[in-house]
Amino acid sequence: MSETAIEALGLAKRYGRGRGWALRDCSFALPAGRVCALVGPNGAGKSTLLALAAGLLRPTQGVVRGPARTDLAYVAQDKPLHPQLTVADTLTMGRELNPGRWDGEIAARIVETLDPGARVRRLSGGQRTRVALALALGKRPELLLLDEPMADLDPLARHELMGALMADTAERGTTVVVSSHILTELEGACDHLLLLDGGRIRLDGAIDDLLAAHTLVTGPVEDLAPHTVVESRTTGRQLTALVRNEGGPVEGPWQTTSPSLEELLLAHLRASKTADRTPEGASA
Amino acid sequence: MSGLALKGPYWVTVRQHRRALWTAGAVVLLSLVCVGGLSLWDSRVVGTDQDDGHMLLRWGMDLFSLGVIYLPLLVGAFVAGPMVARELESGTYKLALTQSVTPGRWLASKLVTAGAVTVATTLALMAVYALGLTRVAGDYQFTWDERGTYEATGTVLVAYGLLAVAVGALVGQLVRRTVVAMAATGVVIGVVLLVLSVLRWDFLAVRTITGPVGPSLLVPDAGMYVDSGLIRTTGQRLPGWYCPEPLDENGVCRPDVDIAAQYVDYHPASHFWPTQFIETGIVLALAALALLAAFRVLSRRHPS
Repeated sequence: MSETAIEALGLAKRYGRGRGWALRDCSFALPAGRVCALVGPNGAGKSTLLALAAGLLRPTQGVVRGPARTDLAYVAQDKPLHPQLTVADTLTMGRELNPGRWDGEIAARIVETLDPGARVRRLSGGQRTRVALALALGKRPELLLLDEPMADLDPLARHELMGALMADTAERGTTVVVSSHILTELEGACDHLLLLDGGRIRLDGAIDDLLAAHTLVTGPVEDLAPHTVVESRTTGRQLTALVRNEGGPVEGPWQTTSPSLEELLLAHLRASKTADRTPEGASA
Repeated sequence: MSGLALKGPYWVTVRQHRRALWTAGAVVLLSLVCVGGLSLWDSRVVGTDQDDGHMLLRWGMDLFSLGVIYLPLLVGAFVAGPMVARELESGTYKLALTQSVTPGRWLASKLVTAGAVTVATTLALMAVYALGLTRVAGDYQFTWDERGTYEATGTVLVAYGLLAVAVGALVGQLVRRTVVAMAATGVVIGVVLLVLSVLRWDFLAVRTITGPVGPSLLVPDAGMYVDSGLIRTTGQRLPGWYCPEPLDENGVCRPDVDIAAQYVDYHPASHFWPTQFIETGIVLALAALALLAAFRVLSRRHPS
């Protein structure tokens, strides 16, 4: 396997005592060159995980090992930029704060539709996203951390920017972690998946491997043992279940198909909700 | 203008706060125009302190004295608010701290810039103040020991400016809210100024002159009056108004009251520089402590 771009061991974050855990017991290793979708519902801990990876937060427990500050770029969810600077000033800032590695051409290409003399304060949300992405890509990072980057963009701009982003990172072999709570936004662009829910990792792996490791089963309501059922639902006499392909191929009166990415994610999210409602320590 | 030679985070700091830099320059220029103009007007009528020009200059210099004392408060509020707390409040620190410069250099570039501009502005304003003072020096309210005049003619004002930068950096990080951080820093600097303006006259021992009871003694050599009163034959000091009951039939003190002499405590004008240097040392030591604390807070939150 290739080298690891970023790795977490027992990572946990709590914002002050008495508050709940934003992130708990997180361990994963992301191989270099992957484009990783960080998926989960709102409040799952995605932003916390990215800020920890960017070195902006100190973990409460555990460690996160990644590239040094000089080799990573991070775009926060609210796209912080200095409002009093112009677009051109902001790119000059990128050059001044990243001496020796700034690529002005890439940055200029991302913001070519914007007036260089326009103050950031006057830009729309989508235009600010462009400037923030230009700043991140101009740094030519080894690891690019993007927190809900496309939320402010219209579908056309989203498609175009995502395309430019992916083309550039693919060319350089940049590792990308991009978060979203919209599953379909990332499908097709990513080859790795981290599913977070309730501050814990629920799924972690290459998307192809994850899909191949699960089977979607439909058919009569019968016991699925010895297969590991991730989640199952019954509507009338019809059973729909997602099982792990651990005990060999599923044989019986059922129809088996390979799940779509969305079916896989939804099944795991529903399963984690059910698990949270019945914690192990509950009294009998 | 000055953007050419600046590099790295210094370029960013200056670019971010260009308007404040222009304002500082404009304030110096405005003070020069006002003081220069009023001095010229005053110099047209020679030989009297009662002409309109002199009155207006005095009024202007009075305002200037007040402004000079508030200067460190303004500096501290600016560093704490717009320079530090606003970055933390608005989230732009996430931008700065994920570039290639370390957090330490990021804060240092802000503080060095603020410190340099503060020292330059303070010295320029002191020069303008000195210019105006040549025409009113020694006047009531413009003696060497007066508040405002004392600060603007020595070394302490520069030290207070640097203290304000350091305290602003610390409070801005601790409070993380622009307006609150500005107010809190202003209060801290104001308290230090107030406390030291009282304590500074205890740094050096006062000189005392004594004389026979009679008309009040005068403070010699443009000295600063501290205290005066009466002395008993036992050497015990009494307040100047001391007069035990009963009074004599004319309502004045009886001549047999045990009073040997009167005294005046004062600081001679030669105490000016030693007092300035001691106070400057204390303020710079406080500034160093605040600076150390500011960088410790930074490195605890953002390891480099």
